[in-house]
Amino acid sequence: MIHKVLSAWLFFSLCSMVFAQDSFQIKGLVINAKTLQPIEGANVIGKGLFSISSSTGTFTIENVARGTRSLTISHIGYSSNMVTIKVGPKMDSLTVALKESATQLQEVEVNGKSKKRQNQEYAAVTHTVSKDFLDKNRENSLMQTLKNIPGVSTINIGSGQSKPVIRGLGFNRVVVVQNGIKHEAQQWGNDHGLEIDQYGVETVKIIKGPASLQYGSDAIAGVVDIQALKLPLQNSLKGELNLLGENNNDLFGVSAGIQARKNKWFYRGRLTYRDFGDYKVPTDKINYENYVFELHDNNLRNTAGREADASFGIGYISDNIKSETTFSNVNAKNGFFANAHGLEVRSSSIDYDNSNRDIDLPYHKVNHFKITNNTSIAIGEHHLQLDLGYQNNHREELSEPVPHGYMPTPPDSKERIFDKNTYALNIRDSFSPNERHDLTTGVNLEYQDNNIGGWGFLIPAYNRFTIGVFAYDQFELHKDLHLLGGLRYDYGVLDSKSYYDWYPTTVNNSDGSTSYIYMQRAQNKTLDFGNISASLGLSYIHNTTTYKINLGKSFRMPLANELASDGVNYHMYRYERGNLDLDPESSYQLDLDIDHTTAAFSFGASPFVNLFENYIYLNPTSNYYETLQIYEYTQSQVFRVGGEIRASTTVLKNLQLNASAEYVYSRQTSGPKKDFTLPFSPPLSGLFSASYQFKNFLFFGEPEVKANYRITAAQNEIVPPEEVTQGYQVLNMAFSSKLSPFKSSMPVEMRVKLNNVFNTHYYDHSSFYRLIDVPEPGRNLSISLTVPF
Amino acid sequence: MSFSTKYIFILFLSLVFTSCTTDDNTKKDEQKPTISINYDEGFPQGCSQLVRGETYSFRAMVTDDVELASYSLDIHHNFDHHTHDDQEGSCSLDPKKTATDPWIFIENYSIEDGLTTYEINLSLTIPNDIDTGDYHCSFSVIDETGWQSRTSVDIKIIE
Repeated sequence: MIHKVLSAWLFFSLCSMVFAQDSFQIKGLVINAKTLQPIEGANVIGKGLFSISSSTGTFTIENVARGTRSLTISHIGYSSNMVTIKVGPKMDSLTVALKESATQLQEVEVNGKSKKRQNQEYAAVTHTVSKDFLDKNRENSLMQTLKNIPGVSTINIGSGQSKPVIRGLGFNRVVVVQNGIKHEAQQWGNDHGLEIDQYGVETVKIIKGPASLQYGSDAIAGVVDIQALKLPLQNSLKGELNLLGENNNDLFGVSAGIQARKNKWFYRGRLTYRDFGDYKVPTDKINYENYVFELHDNNLRNTAGREADASFGIGYISDNIKSETTFSNVNAKNGFFANAHGLEVRSSSIDYDNSNRDIDLPYHKVNHFKITNNTSIAIGEHHLQLDLGYQNNHREELSEPVPHGYMPTPPDSKERIFDKNTYALNIRDSFSPNERHDLTTGVNLEYQDNNIGGWGFLIPAYNRFTIGVFAYDQFELHKDLHLLGGLRYDYGVLDSKSYYDWYPTTVNNSDGSTSYIYMQRAQNKTLDFGNISASLGLSYIHNTTTYKINLGKSFRMPLANELASDGVNYHMYRYERGNLDLDPESSYQLDLDIDHTTAAFSFGASPFVNLFENYIYLNPTSNYYETLQIYEYTQSQVFRVGGEIRASTTVLKNLQLNASAEYVYSRQTSGPKKDFTLPFSPPLSGLFSASYQFKNFLFFGEPEVKANYRITAAQNEIVPPEEVTQGYQVLNMAFSSKLSPFKSSMPVEMRVKLNNVFNTHYYDHSSFYRLIDVPEPGRNLSISLTVPF
Repeated sequence: MSFSTKYIFILFLSLVFTSCTTDDNTKKDEQKPTISINYDEGFPQGCSQLVRGETYSFRAMVTDDVELASYSLDIHHNFDHHTHDDQEGSCSLDPKKTATDPWIFIENYSIEDGLTTYEINLSLTIPNDIDTGDYHCSFSVIDETGWQSRTSVDIKIIE
């Protein structure tokens, strides 16, 4: 009840507006007290007054009435400063210097160091993505937005769904964490996306490398850690409205978020709705093997979708405790290309071309409900962090019932249903016995309960329990030399449930008789796994250059489908056979990172070498089950090497140039596909961008034009059943500006983007639709507005 | 200082990148096998009408650059018009109907070792007690490496 009242209060209190008379303008500059560099994004707050400092550190507050005013200037990583000024004619411009400090309770490390410095000292290779970057680069899904970071790519299905790939590895080899809890869906599947509302995301930490030490099983290739939202300021109420329109798939999206804090209690809420039609590709027909699919009006038939998300959080903060509970629900429905489902060519009497907005069969529906609680408690020198999570992922995959093999026409369209409950508890204690050590110990517990339904069988139902204990220490050898080392042990039990076909299969016995058998596809099995992971790294800071070296061992427990599947995947024309003898995957990786940053120039390189002892690989064999090719889960040694380089410079005052390149080389060095690469290997790719900021004109503030040119080489390294993918070059353009149509309100941020400017016809090697020769989306004009209030 | 380290790093990086492209000489099989019924003896041809009780030779030509491994033949009904073939021209289909006792033929066979060309030749008698109507007949072949090729043809089974 209290939540209802609170949310009603939250949403009705949006309408407060400030009107002032006899007004003056406060102008000011926020700088770092030590370096005298401008500070961007500082909150400037007074009674009824609000502003945020720009990238040059300046802020302006319009329409301030005469009198004495107090302003509080604050920024994460700095201690707040309060100034009092007399508002009247002939006011001087205000300069506020903030001292660096980070005594925010939400940061576990309480050591008076800036975020940037902490990242430099932390030996693991991480990349922090800010809200500003997310806003500026926003694409159709969170992962497509993050694709602009070197080393990060995606596996897409259609325009609305994509899953993370880090340095060429994805699926269950990349962990997605939100509010400290691992996001658990059906991430093993080819055609599954990521059920996270990208508008509810502020900061993302990306780890490109093995991170099992902190994140446990599955963090073998990397982590996408969506961090807890920043704490609202005391006695504040703010919100934003995001509007998005796109012309390629006729998308419209709206998202509204609000957050408020009294003194100790704070609240947030967000609602998001997106609806899009079929997306357009720059071709009027698709040639897949010998088939030709004519497209109506360039629409990729039945790829429309919609998404409705809601989240609400309530929290409490006092001197030594901070606790926030977040409820969120993501609900999505996405159509799949109608002419071929997977690799299977389909005819249908459904009139798909009647509308480009309807979602007909085949489609899927997914609902992801999540409750998390994050509590941090300070007890003396200890900082205790508790993360508690419950998630329910309910997915239904629907398609027109069609007989296959010995399976008669199924009764309904519910092909596969997955319902997964995940309970997680993480406890972590950070302790600084003295100035030089930062010792963290912790335990992670997780229980999964995965149920299946529908007439199609792919993976068995299972329960899984895992527990991991870890300890790591960050040791300051010298002011500029830090060592990070840790050890972890994990234990897991997987209990798979048996499954029998619902229809009989004709079996010709050796004595000439024929029997009709309900085939068993999965067995009741209990398997247990244990694994040690470890990491050791050094970080050395020399003036403006940071060097890092890190050696890590990570692991991944085999999944239920890898162990126990024994069934037909008709859409992929294959029979998938699990292997109960699989070992946990273990991987050793050596990472180097160098970063050199000055005001005018920055350069970075992060090469890596990686060795998998036993990569789990779905190997296409040369045998059939009935008339479908048998694919078997096998393990092979894999060697990988690659990395990213990046450089950026400010040539003229307002012109910034960026360049980055990424490359991964993969080889299976044993097993049936020795000398072949791994599936979905990303090709060599470079991204060049230039942005120019113009002078303010009319009501456009900080207008900026950005061009973004991606050059990707051909991918000739393939493994069955892939095809070679040609290289491509794509140009994207963007214009962004702050609009201040009304002097009294905060500026509206506007972004106009033109993706694939030349409507280039190209293929993305790691797109799911690549297998059926569907090119990437054509030209897309999108306009987004962010209206703060 | 920083400039020299930068160049050392670029050098190091290029070394890493180039050193790993030397073992590409290993010959890998990256070719799919081929499969076709588009030759004089290929059977059945698109839109063929097959008579119940008669015996036919189902023939398709398969080739591979390295070595063929196995093939399969799948004949199932298309009374619900759920699929279509990959042949030129489209066949006229009978009205949709519900299957009562459709013919299902699902078999796979291995090809003797060492062959790069092979003609699939299966002699099949169409059972007398099955539903007549539209059927879908699909051949597939896999090579030694695990590459697969498929071809399919729409046929009709009549009285």
